[in-house]
Amino acid sequence: MNLLRSLLPLTLCAAFGVATAGAAPKGGKLNLFGWSEYVPQAVLDGFTAETGVKVNYETYASGEEMLAKLLAGGGSYDLIQPPDYIAEALIKGGLLAPIDQAKLPHFGNLMSEYLNMPHDPEQKFTVPFMVGTVGIVVNTEKVTTPVNSYAELFTEAHKNRIVVLDDGRELVTAALYIQGKDLNAMTAENIAGTRPVLASWFKLIKLFDSDSPKAALLNGDVDLGLVWCGEAAILHNEDKKFRYVLPTEGAHLFVDLLAIPKDARNVENAHLFIDYLLRAEVSKLVSDEFPYTNPNAAARKLLTPEQLANPASYPVSDRKLDTFRHIGDSGAAIDELITDLKNAN
Amino acid sequence: MQALPAADAENPHARRATPMGWWLLAPMLLWLALFVVAPLVILVVYSFCSRDDLGRVVFEFTWTNYARAFDETYLKILLRSVGYAALTTLICVAAGFPAGWYIARRPPAVRNRLLLLVMIPFWTSFLIRTYAWIAILKSEGLLNATLLAARVIPQPLELLYTPVAVVIGLVYAYLPFMILPVYGSAEKLDNALVEAAHDLGAGPLRAFSEVIIPLTWPGIAAGVLLVFVPAIGMFAITDLMGGAKVAMIGNVIQNQVFKARNLPFAAALGVVFTLLFVATYLALQWRGRRARA
Repeated sequence: MNLLRSLLPLTLCAAFGVATAGAAPKGGKLNLFGWSEYVPQAVLDGFTAETGVKVNYETYASGEEMLAKLLAGGGSYDLIQPPDYIAEALIKGGLLAPIDQAKLPHFGNLMSEYLNMPHDPEQKFTVPFMVGTVGIVVNTEKVTTPVNSYAELFTEAHKNRIVVLDDGRELVTAALYIQGKDLNAMTAENIAGTRPVLASWFKLIKLFDSDSPKAALLNGDVDLGLVWCGEAAILHNEDKKFRYVLPTEGAHLFVDLLAIPKDARNVENAHLFIDYLLRAEVSKLVSDEFPYTNPNAAARKLLTPEQLANPASYPVSDRKLDTFRHIGDSGAAIDELITDLKNAN
Repeated sequence: MQALPAADAENPHARRATPMGWWLLAPMLLWLALFVVAPLVILVVYSFCSRDDLGRVVFEFTWTNYARAFDETYLKILLRSVGYAALTTLICVAAGFPAGWYIARRPPAVRNRLLLLVMIPFWTSFLIRTYAWIAILKSEGLLNATLLAARVIPQPLELLYTPVAVVIGLVYAYLPFMILPVYGSAEKLDNALVEAAHDLGAGPLRAFSEVIIPLTWPGIAAGVLLVFVPAIGMFAITDLMGGAKVAMIGNVIQNQVFKARNLPFAAALGVVFTLLFVATYLALQWRGRRARA
């Protein structure tokens, strides 16, 4: 074991073509700050066994929470998993270190449609990790009428049978879709304009939950939900009665990324881990446990036909999908509106 | 330190503080300075600051956070939180006082066993116990299944994710904090005083209101503080059992920190909240002094 450890830096030098031994990582550690329930323990263990790098995995429940702790934490994180619009804000604020693609031999596994997206047009600062959508999940045993749109979801017939994400921006976005507006046109007027729509919806909603909306659906406390596709995919795997649809008015497509904060201390280890995650067999492990849409073409080849047929993970549709952009200060207006509406009920 | 002479005057046994006394106090004073005074100062400073586009605190003086904190929306939320906390406290007094009193009047061996029963729930994590309540109250849960099987109700009750569930959760979480201080006061109460009241012709009601209540007041007051103050700020129960529908001040502050990333506004709400705590404390002190007089 000791011999192996001492050989490790040499092997890594050879593998990555690093000229000076001093620049190579020597075991050490990696402070990963990621979503709760997104990186399987087996992946972390596998990485540590192979590289000797110890991974400290700290988690958050929303992109905003991540941003708050990252800004307060000052250099304590080496690798983060921001959603696209948060990454865009971080890039604009000069808070990310550039990614050296030369250190990522498996980068080619990624599908080109998830590269050079608006949040990082030159693909300099981020690497896609998982992709997903926000859509409607229906318990078809309880709800027999078709529900294919926000309009059909939020009707009087479903009063107190609905769970939605406790996420102001997702809710305002759904309301903008129903009004036929662009989901990134978060002007003060547009946000205020969604008030009557949201007010009528809030009267029908049973509960707000972003962390685990599947729980209330499984418990039978609600029959319909506006949820992350990964939650719906798990429900679908659990019981085929749960059906996932992308709303006809349009749906939010999100890309969760890997990025290195500017003041990270273990940049080499962060690159090592990113490349490890890009390997087809490792990426497949992530898909096995957290069935979001995998942007890794090589990993998709390893998935079972059943996994690929899960409509929540790999929706087959020509629906309009849009990504979030950084909206700056508008977040405050959204928050105020949602707080006010919850208060009114 | 201004209070010292006053204490001397009130208590003839009090002695002047010696250097040794200050050394003994030092660890606690250090603790208070580091973890109470310093955070409070940061809270007050932040509450007058602004935030930038990303949510970082900018040290520019502004009143807007306080102006917003006293906006109708947030006043309503504060009022509602106080209402829920008051209802919780009321139920806790009604249920906790008899329990604490009863336990204190048992023989020591029984007393210790009963006290153990009050404290056993603390051996399990608070969140796990809250999830257990979800399993009990959900529509296909323990309570509904039992009542349906016993044919008491024709269809499942909608309990979870309602205000009723929030109050159940709050009372459950804070009841021991009422029972224990009441027990502490009741245990010290000399039964001869109650008997004397009866001998002097006081009926049960009069003995209760004029002897028992004033003598156990310190325990009740401590219980009220221990229940009321944390209940106002509780956010986990309103999120998990209330379905995040009923916004309470604790939820709003948590959301301002982690969702809206508006630390200055969260700080302003925190300051208002702290002042509310001070007001509650002063009110109880005043009531206590009046009760003693």
